[in-house]
Amino acid sequence: MDGEAQRSTASWENATLAPVDSLRSERAESPMPGLVEGTEPGAGQKSAMFVHAQSFEDLTAEGEDEREAELDKSGECADELKVLVGEKSVEEQHNIDVTSETRTKEEDVCSEAWRSHRKHVFVLSEAGKPIYSRYGTEEALSSTMGVMMALVSVVEADKNVIRSIHADGCKVVFLTKSPLVLVGVSRTSQTDKELLRELLYIYYQIVSLLTLTQLNHIFQHKQNFDLRRLLAGSEYLTDNLLHRLDRDPGLLLSAVTCLPLASSARDVVSSGLQAAKSESLVFSILLAGDRLVTLVRKKDQFLHHIDLHLVFNLVGSSSSFREGEGWTPICLPKFNTAGFFHAHISYLEPASQLCLILVSTDREDFFNMSDCKQRFLERLSKRSAYQALKEALKCPSYSVEQVAIPELRHFLYKSKSSGLYTSPEFPEVYQSDAEQERLMGLYQDLHSSLHHPSRPLRSFYRCGESENLLAWVTSGFELYLCFSPLGTKALALSAVNKLLKWIRKEEDRLFILSPLTY
Amino acid sequence: MSAMRVDAKVVMLGKESVGKTSLVERYVHHRFLVGPYQNTIGAAFIAKPIQVGEKVITLGIWDTAGSERYEAMSRIYYRGARAAIVCYDMTDTSSFQRARFWVKELQNCEEHCKIYLCGTKSDVIEGDRSLRQIDYHDAQDFADEIGALLFETSSKTGNNVDELFQKVAEDYNTTAFQYMTPEETGVDLGQKKDSYFYSCCHNN
Repeated sequence: MDGEAQRSTASWENATLAPVDSLRSERAESPMPGLVEGTEPGAGQKSAMFVHAQSFEDLTAEGEDEREAELDKSGECADELKVLVGEKSVEEQHNIDVTSETRTKEEDVCSEAWRSHRKHVFVLSEAGKPIYSRYGTEEALSSTMGVMMALVSVVEADKNVIRSIHADGCKVVFLTKSPLVLVGVSRTSQTDKELLRELLYIYYQIVSLLTLTQLNHIFQHKQNFDLRRLLAGSEYLTDNLLHRLDRDPGLLLSAVTCLPLASSARDVVSSGLQAAKSESLVFSILLAGDRLVTLVRKKDQFLHHIDLHLVFNLVGSSSSFREGEGWTPICLPKFNTAGFFHAHISYLEPASQLCLILVSTDREDFFNMSDCKQRFLERLSKRSAYQALKEALKCPSYSVEQVAIPELRHFLYKSKSSGLYTSPEFPEVYQSDAEQERLMGLYQDLHSSLHHPSRPLRSFYRCGESENLLAWVTSGFELYLCFSPLGTKALALSAVNKLLKWIRKEEDRLFILSPLTY
Repeated sequence: MSAMRVDAKVVMLGKESVGKTSLVERYVHHRFLVGPYQNTIGAAFIAKPIQVGEKVITLGIWDTAGSERYEAMSRIYYRGARAAIVCYDMTDTSSFQRARFWVKELQNCEEHCKIYLCGTKSDVIEGDRSLRQIDYHDAQDFADEIGALLFETSSKTGNNVDELFQKVAEDYNTTAFQYMTPEETGVDLGQKKDSYFYSCCHNN
């Protein structure tokens, strides 16, 4: 990451998109000084809640370490590749019906429909045993996975590592994380790095269910163990995570979004959680659907956004916690891959969207956690902040019209130092799932260009048929804007300043500015 | 909910997808959720007061996940339990094998835990008798052998569900005094290690 040294100077030299009037360290009315990390709109006042908040590079670097050798296998392996994917032109890939995404496990793996899925994900053991496939049953794919493992082994035999195969409008990306091998087959325009990042998420999802220690232990004792036995019933978590990776800007930006809430109300909620502490309690997280209301943590303990997304995925995928108070072991892989935390998961009220997650280190501590929840709820329900919170749930998002920038349709804004992002609801034109996924795809493209491993861009303006896009990254924030096709470049550039001012004005409500610790 | 005093710890055990959660849903919320199968993650705890004669007894029900992944954790759920409802799916032979496993586990680790054997999905069998895989008499013989009571239930129709939990509560009520205060009756050297420590399932 040579970017570190570069960044401090580059932020001044390259930030030519808008005039920088002055650099002030206090929170300025003009957001432009926000080019400096930690003063951008949405930056926390005290310390960040998350560890490695701007860790896109962090996240992917891990996969890179083990791959010193650059391999160009595309020619050599094209033949094997045909086993995996049919021949399809790039044009055709856009015609694939997204609505057919509904999982059909019994899908025929020899069919054209199976071959033409946009993104396949396979997980196998180092013995070549199937563990997970996004589409089709694992049994039917055992020979295909055998081929994948053979490819990995052949390259490994030469003391080398296989990274990816590019052929035929299709990328095959390999991630070997002993004792697992993950393979992604994609027809999207995402870069290898992006695909690798997604595979890493899947890997962490599996680790969060079992811990790495247990995984290693199992395969050391029995190399050809069928891991599906232990993962039984968790496939939908992986399915959902893959779905989120296509849809959720948070996973793309390595950030989390908050429920818009007056800071006074949020502070009351946070201090309520802070007061309901217990010896073994490490994190208290209050969620409203997919949005963070607040997070209180033990001093000096940080939660990684990946771990938080895994928790979001767990809670969001399952209705099981509505039944009563959930108590489940969970490994937070970015915190520690060796052990389990124990999470007390429950909704504040039966039909409420508000879900409280209390992460404890002690598996015997259920009733203590339950008591913490009770204390928090009693305290909260006495205050008007609870009413304000419930009101806020009714409008969990805002419309882009509030920003009052002509032709602006949608945007993503991430404050790097807090690891939080904000984004308005999708406007009319992006109401359908297919359109939302298309827009997310465009954002992903821009994101890839901004974070390109060898040629990262600082800004990117892109004129398209149905929208114009602008992406801009500084050391303080990351911004993606979507304009109608009528928008001009000049308009887009002037919009940045205006938008940042608006976010600065609303930051109390949109971000968590004063995170608390116990 | 949890601030409530819990009298008896009751644990639900059995193979995944036999319908432990549905059974609890039916009993606690009087409903049967139709939809795709959702497995329990870890375990869920529900406190439910129940009227027994003049008294109100609160059952603390632990609905555990059937998945093998959580097997190592199961001990914390059944430790100190006064009753275990071991479920099997009457249309699935392997689930009965699994029930035997749990019974054995309980007999080894929780001698004071009363076992209730519960066959689920009786509505499916009503619809088509040929689907029954576990003969009533076989199950009854097994229940007799281990000194358990057998209930065949349906969470969909509610058949026998209330009766099962009512019986659990009644049995607790009639036997409660026997184990009520182990501290006062002296230390039982034959007792399993630790079980005194966990005999009370809430530590307020």
